[in-house]
Amino acid sequence: MLIRSPKDWELPESAATPERDYLLRPRSSEPSFPRRDFLKAFGYGAAGFAAAALLPRRLAATTAGFPTRINPAYRDPALEPTAYEQITSYNNFYEFGTDKADPKVRANRGWQTEPWTVEIGGLIRNPLKLDANDLVSKMGGCEQRVYRFRCVEAWSMVIPWDGFPLAKLVKLADPKPEAKFVTFTTVHDPRNIPGQRSGILDWPYVEGLRLDEANHELAFIATGIYGRPIPNQNGAPLRLVVPWKYGFKCGKSLVKIDFVARQPRNTWQIMAPDEYGFYANVNPNVDHPRWSQASERVIGAGGLFGGRQRTLMFNGYEKQVAGLYQGMDLKRNY
Amino acid sequence: MSFVSKVLRSKPVIWTLIVLPGLWPAWPLFVTMDDTARTDPLKFILLHFGLMGCLLLVSVLSLTPLRVLAPKWDVALALNRHRRLIGVAAFAYALLHFSVQVLYQYDGTLAGTLDQLGRELQKPFQLTGLVALVILLVLAITSLHALVRRLGGRTWKRIHRLAYVAAALVAYHQVSAHKVFPIQVLWIFGPLVVLELARMWKSRTKVSEIGPDDTKSL
Ligand code: HEM
Repeated sequence: MLIRSPKDWELPESAATPERDYLLRPRSSEPSFPRRDFLKAFGYGAAGFAAAALLPRRLAATTAGFPTRINPAYRDPALEPTAYEQITSYNNFYEFGTDKADPKVRANRGWQTEPWTVEIGGLIRNPLKLDANDLVSKMGGCEQRVYRFRCVEAWSMVIPWDGFPLAKLVKLADPKPEAKFVTFTTVHDPRNIPGQRSGILDWPYVEGLRLDEANHELAFIATGIYGRPIPNQNGAPLRLVVPWKYGFKCGKSLVKIDFVARQPRNTWQIMAPDEYGFYANVNPNVDHPRWSQASERVIGAGGLFGGRQRTLMFNGYEKQVAGLYQGMDLKRNY
Repeated sequence: MSFVSKVLRSKPVIWTLIVLPGLWPAWPLFVTMDDTARTDPLKFILLHFGLMGCLLLVSVLSLTPLRVLAPKWDVALALNRHRRLIGVAAFAYALLHFSVQVLYQYDGTLAGTLDQLGRELQKPFQLTGLVALVILLVLAITSLHALVRRLGGRTWKRIHRLAYVAAALVAYHQVSAHKVFPIQVLWIFGPLVVLELARMWKSRTKVSEIGPDDTKSL
């Protein structure tokens, strides 16, 4: 039997954030069951959804029917989660417009994120094409982790994500030895996604990780925020979360996950290679050519004038991830 | 004189047109309580003041070519009476914009704020803004009546050509403020470029019209 040794960032549950921030979370003693079965109990289709709408709020407000469970190992009491309203109203999702107010409006004008099919392919032994909900069931349901989120534009939030560790997905895919990198492709549907009808970025949006980064225990696939299904503007229904990297690495609304041999080029790197690199690790010592990365505005902190804090190396996850980049020149591999 | 031009001749009307749009952020921040604006209110105000400064700068620069191209249009003439006021307002908004940027960099300590501001101002993005701001400051000061008289029309005019340099710097600055090319830059600066080109073309055709007459009289 493996004996699990607690990590130094792990904290006892008693140190957790007060419950007012988590009113919507179901009790962790509740069994986790996937949404399909959940709806079956009330009959499929419209009747099922109507019944779901009548459910007590506490139950309905789970991650697409997957009750989430707080993982105390990823709950630093020093991190105060940003308000749900702010997390879901201030979004960079250029598929729906370049203004931060755009996605909340335009991503909710009939763009369908349910049902959703995701394809896992490339250099793996177990290629799959499956429904997003089925994927979550295969991953064993959801857990909640509170992570720092640092945008390359020098602002930050603290977000309680619900979802599953990316490493589980990698294990399911069973990569062949040649697979060294993983690419994450966002949905491409110019008919329903207005921003993709313009050429501001090279669509579809693509992100990439090294395989060992994807296997790191902090790498995560989010399906919810604050115990509620992840809203369209935040990248429903599956979104990559890599908390030690700048926010743009966290590809949204994923339709394809590919295992490849060569280092891929990610969308922002293609757009402006001197400004955005493949690694995009949060690093206060390496500036963006147009602005400093030494500090960041903390969204929601300190009223109108907000708060500014020093940016931490690897966004505060240095102890956990620095080993991945040993011996690398981080100024060149930005 | 048309009704429109009569209204535009009035100073209070121009003052209102300059001040009211500057108060706009109060609407989403305090009336409709827009979540996006309230998520980072200071950034919202920062961008708005920058945009106001830039729009007023482009407006004031458009007035001269407008008058040259349409010397009999009473609206253009009415607006040209307010050139100085509009120009100084462009500076005022730019100064507000800069002040908000200083607040935005505030990290609780004066030293930290200055350090952060110093780092930012070294980047071409904000350095161009700073140079533009200094130019606008110089133009605002030299617009004082007494100074205009002291300098004399010619020197004053030469100094005020710097406004074009400021506009070019602001165009660069605004583009740098965005991760992808902001299309609005085209419709903000485009008309000014067209007006200036038209003015140059008009004065050139005028010169060539005069040319042959001059040689005849030799
Ligand atoms: C020291 C001087 C200045 C500094 C430090 C400064 C700083 C900034 C910053 C930080 C932003 C971008 C905010 C963001 O999106 O992250 C910005 C945007 C902008 N600034 Fe400035 N600025 C300065 C001077 C000026 C001047 C003189 C003008 C015009 C008269 C101006 C016009 C603008 C405009 C138009 C934008 C973009 C607004 C938009 O497109 O939404 N700035 N400035």
